[in-house]
Amino acid sequence: MGRSTKPARRRPARRDDGRRRIRFTGSGEVSSTIFLILRRMRAPLIVLITIFAVSVLGLSLIPGRDAAGHATRMGFFDAFYFMSYTATTIGYGEIPQPFTGAQRLWVMATIYLTVVGWAYAIGSLLTLLQDRAFRQAMALRRFTRTVSRLREPFLLIVGYGETGRLLGRSLDSLGRRFVVLDASAERVDALDVDQYHADVPGLAADAGNPRTIGLAGLEHPRCEGVLALTDDDEVNLVVTMTAALVRPELPVIARTVSPTIAHRMRAFGSPAVVNPFDRFGDHLRLALRAPASYQLMTWLESGPGAGLPAAGRAPTTGRWVVCGHGRFGHELTEDLRAEGLAVTVIDARPDAGAEPAMIVGDASAPEVMARADLENAVGLVAGTDNDTTNLSLVAAGRKVNPALFIAARQNRPASAPLFAAMEVDWLLVPTEVLAREIYAQLSTPLLWRFLREMPARGDDWAAHLVDRLRQHCGTHLGTVWKVALTGHEAPALGSWLRAGDARLGDLVRSPLDRSRPLAAVPLLLLRGSESMLAPGDDVRLAPADQILFAGRPSARRSLVDTMTNDAVSAYVLRGMSVPSGWLWQRVTGRVPRIG
Amino acid sequence: MSLEKVIFGFFVLLAATLNFGFFIGDLSDPSLHNVYELFAAIVVSLIATVLKFGDRTQIGAVHLATSLVADLQLIAAALVWAYATQISSAGLDGQAMASVVSLSGGALLANLVSVVLLVVETVSFHRR
Repeated sequence: MGRSTKPARRRPARRDDGRRRIRFTGSGEVSSTIFLILRRMRAPLIVLITIFAVSVLGLSLIPGRDAAGHATRMGFFDAFYFMSYTATTIGYGEIPQPFTGAQRLWVMATIYLTVVGWAYAIGSLLTLLQDRAFRQAMALRRFTRTVSRLREPFLLIVGYGETGRLLGRSLDSLGRRFVVLDASAERVDALDVDQYHADVPGLAADAGNPRTIGLAGLEHPRCEGVLALTDDDEVNLVVTMTAALVRPELPVIARTVSPTIAHRMRAFGSPAVVNPFDRFGDHLRLALRAPASYQLMTWLESGPGAGLPAAGRAPTTGRWVVCGHGRFGHELTEDLRAEGLAVTVIDARPDAGAEPAMIVGDASAPEVMARADLENAVGLVAGTDNDTTNLSLVAAGRKVNPALFIAARQNRPASAPLFAAMEVDWLLVPTEVLAREIYAQLSTPLLWRFLREMPARGDDWAAHLVDRLRQHCGTHLGTVWKVALTGHEAPALGSWLRAGDARLGDLVRSPLDRSRPLAAVPLLLLRGSESMLAPGDDVRLAPADQILFAGRPSARRSLVDTMTNDAVSAYVLRGMSVPSGWLWQRVTGRVPRIG
Repeated sequence: MSLEKVIFGFFVLLAATLNFGFFIGDLSDPSLHNVYELFAAIVVSLIATVLKFGDRTQIGAVHLATSLVADLQLIAAALVWAYATQISSAGLDGQAMASVVSLSGGALLANLVSVVLLVVETVSFHRR
């Protein structure tokens, strides 16, 4: 395992060697919307002012007649008052005296003028509100404000395709916050449909633009990591570069299917580059060698609530037929050969790669199928990048040889029900592999460490652990969490840990009935830099140990109670029933020792 | 020559000249200050303000600020005038006229700053 991935290492910021920290975003972004409105409203406002001025001036110049019949002029005040209610179509009537014919003539003209003026101004304002550029500006402004107001650590996910969505779901159920940036507005709109517990700000903009990445929160002090998950390797490279140059200390996880791009990414800092096809090969080898280890790994990587994956044993002797020799097929073929299996490759393109036993032709055509001699093969991999082709390959292969072990690659999430109906032995979904891999790296460093060290323990060990997990948690994985036995996180365990006889089995007991164990399985014990996989009940704990548990959420809450509440820990660890209230502690004289 | 600049300069200058015309003369003598001139000054000043909307440069921002000051002063002057003629029992006496004119005098100062800014802008970007 771990051929292509390196753990995300933190690098100190390079500010001392004369490199200035670059900033992409300024304060100018925010006020641009107001300027846009003001600029577009210039003409309507001027028209409105002019119409008003002309009307009022005319009305104050045209002679009228007072109650006694003397010629008089309307003052500016009365004229403005009259125009104000006339122009806004309220209309109180003629004041202070009934108008003369000349005044009525003028008022008639101004009524039409002012109505046109208002209609023009209001119409312009409404058009502006409907304007696409204006709405985009508003959306950007809202997004920038939401991101800048985030007060919790968050991850920046660039590319919200299938991988991003799967990962988002797992991260959300862990209670992690994230911000999404994607070029497609549809995918960002899907954020509203995917029901997350936390509010997820999303921006539809060009992810290959460093300024956009900056706006999406790269420069935010609470940004704790960047995930470049777009389909476009070039964009992922830009994201990796930007993150490394702007925030060198941030961990970056980048997806790529090209070794060249992976190499270029590593030139910038130390991003964790994940190549789904490459990871596939690693998984495949593990699955061939140790099915139970593979089963355990897949289960733990699937995140909270995942069902126990089926334990299918792939044939380890015989000849495999791999259809499709793209990057995926190539990687797979190499890994199968490395396991000592014979492989026949079929690809439609003659230039797909130098391959000794390659059959050129459309794999679903009967004569090509016949040349591959499926009757005498043990396994078939339908690994082209077209789901329809893969499905027909599976059907055709089954027809020729029903005993075949069939692995199929699913490219689009929409095809999932079809592949499920085909009941292939082994479904390979690149997006899921990627999402699980990144989830394992992000959820807790201990899980990642466990998964890397676990294959070395052998298949029987893994099968035993899977059994234990199933006994404790059922067929659906609960949560995977880490506890640290420090004074901060476990204040109620201090004296027990220091006494030197702290058995792990005594800690994982139910606070309701200490004869019953909690539904939690310790996966890994980390002491300093030494780790112990699946520690047993008799393992002695020491202060500052870190333990990775898998189990039901209720077990996690019980464990937190034991670790933090002195009365609970006194019962669970020593069987003493201590009053938890201050008054009864004083009355009975039984006070749990703090620390 | 850009028509936009011509119109802009025209309104800025006209606002200042009208304002000056209303302001000049004995402060408290109503017969020396024509109310139509005040009306014209207000309208032109409002138009000049709208013309300055949406300019994101530093000098544009100061332009807008001076215009807003002038508008405020002129509208205050108009309100005082309306109060004196319509509401006050004393009518438009020397005291009321003095406060109207002095308020417009403040607007005149703001308008003069506007003109200075216009000149500064013209001198420093004459090649545009």
